[in-house]
Amino acid sequence: MEPKKPIILVIDDEESIRDSCFQIIVKDGYQAETAQNGTEGLEKIRNVHPDMVLVDLKMPGKSGYEVLEELRTINPHIIPVVITGYGTVDSAVEAMKRGAFDFIQKPFTPEELRKIIRRSLERRKLIQEAETLRLEKKILEENFITMVSHQLRSPLVAVQQYFEVILGGMAGQVEAKQEHMLIRAGERVKALLNLINDWLDMARMNSGEIADNLHPLSIKKLLIKLIDFFRPMIQKENISLKMDLIQDDPLVLGDKEALEQVFSNLISNAIKYNRSKGTAAIFIKKEEKSVVIEVQDTGIGIAPEHLPFIFDQFYRVNRKEGQKTKGTGLGLSIAKKIVEAHKGTIRAKSKPGKGSTFTVTLPKAEAGKGANPLGQDQTSSD
Amino acid sequence: MPLSQKEKTMDKEKTKILVIDDDPDFLDAVTSILETSQYDVETASDPKAGKKRIFSYKPDLILLDIMMDSLFDGFSLCNDIKSSKEFKDVPIIFVSAVKKITGSRFQFKGEEQGMIGPDDYMDKPVQPDELISRIEKLLAP
Repeated sequence: MEPKKPIILVIDDEESIRDSCFQIIVKDGYQAETAQNGTEGLEKIRNVHPDMVLVDLKMPGKSGYEVLEELRTINPHIIPVVITGYGTVDSAVEAMKRGAFDFIQKPFTPEELRKIIRRSLERRKLIQEAETLRLEKKILEENFITMVSHQLRSPLVAVQQYFEVILGGMAGQVEAKQEHMLIRAGERVKALLNLINDWLDMARMNSGEIADNLHPLSIKKLLIKLIDFFRPMIQKENISLKMDLIQDDPLVLGDKEALEQVFSNLISNAIKYNRSKGTAAIFIKKEEKSVVIEVQDTGIGIAPEHLPFIFDQFYRVNRKEGQKTKGTGLGLSIAKKIVEAHKGTIRAKSKPGKGSTFTVTLPKAEAGKGANPLGQDQTSSD
Repeated sequence: MPLSQKEKTMDKEKTKILVIDDDPDFLDAVTSILETSQYDVETASDPKAGKKRIFSYKPDLILLDIMMDSLFDGFSLCNDIKSSKEFKDVPIIFVSAVKKITGSRFQFKGEEQGMIGPDDYMDKPVQPDELISRIEKLLAP
């Protein structure tokens, strides 16, 4: 397939100018389009998608300046060149201030026109290449983290898979002592996988992915989905779960998976650090410009001297003798980074021996803003 | 112990499962699981070999790793199989080391790109019981 010919549009009320430009453009192997006035010119720009536009500054009706302004909003990557009147360069300077790339003064020779066309098309090519590179870089960065994730995980997952098969008795009989050791080995591998997950999340956080990925979503639906996911754990730990999720369904502007992570972490903590037969409760409250989500537990609580530091990386509260500290120490710091990337806040309150409350505030989604290009928001279930 | 294959038909022929994954350890482990449950198993280590094997082996179900050399492999192969005349009704289960909730997510989402997706997704490592039960569900007449 042949590469597309560059399209050059000439907007000028003088027929002679249009005709001579047309001839020169076509002779040089490009596709030529013409328009008699600013309005017709803008119409052509929208339909024909030229690479370059030559526009006369002085025209009846819409002036060349107005065309420049509107062209910028239609497609800033189209190269505008203005045709200026006899004598002065002042208008040319004015035009360049308004976005023109170059100017050509009447009367001009075919060679002068050719030069300007060449320069402009070269610039167009450079802009397109830069844009392609920028997009490629973005995709590579995003994929890099996923690729690293896959490469770090695969060997560990293979080890876990072998444990599953052996412990399932499918590779011969397993003695009690072997079983015990394999189970412990599996737990250590799992802990390492969790650490890798957390580190990769930090990497994604730092690469600024979240800000690009905000859409209106239903925080209520998200929490309901998570609670379903945690039900087995809740039952296993003998915790009772209370939910007060309000009637209506306020939307927040958020990154669905990142927010799932935040609340997964909070809910999981509320279960892990709870007392036997304790309660975990989740509340959603609506405020004027934000949605407030509270996760409460009736657990061991956090002492006042530790409270200011719990969102710090790797901060772990030292437990009594014999209680192994669970987790990587990154969960809350990741949660905080995610919430802040959403322009929200996260706070903790606690009474040792009584329980803790984590409060997340997220800005409401304004109607119509931040919707994804298909016009659908993420309130539909997946 | 995993459930053995339910004998819904009087057929003495074993059900055929093709596993496509570039991790030889996963192939080894999963083959143990499937053979213990009386399935016949063949394996392939890359999408190209996988495609060939589909034509020669004509499996009743396919286990497919989402990510082999690149992000696109699993989704691409799945789409090809589901779009083919001869094999479009063969159930496909995606397996993946990259978890959805609380883990890192996919950057490439096949279905969003208009590709035909699998019949089921499972996270690695697969629990033997869970795997067998999902396979039986998909193969049920």
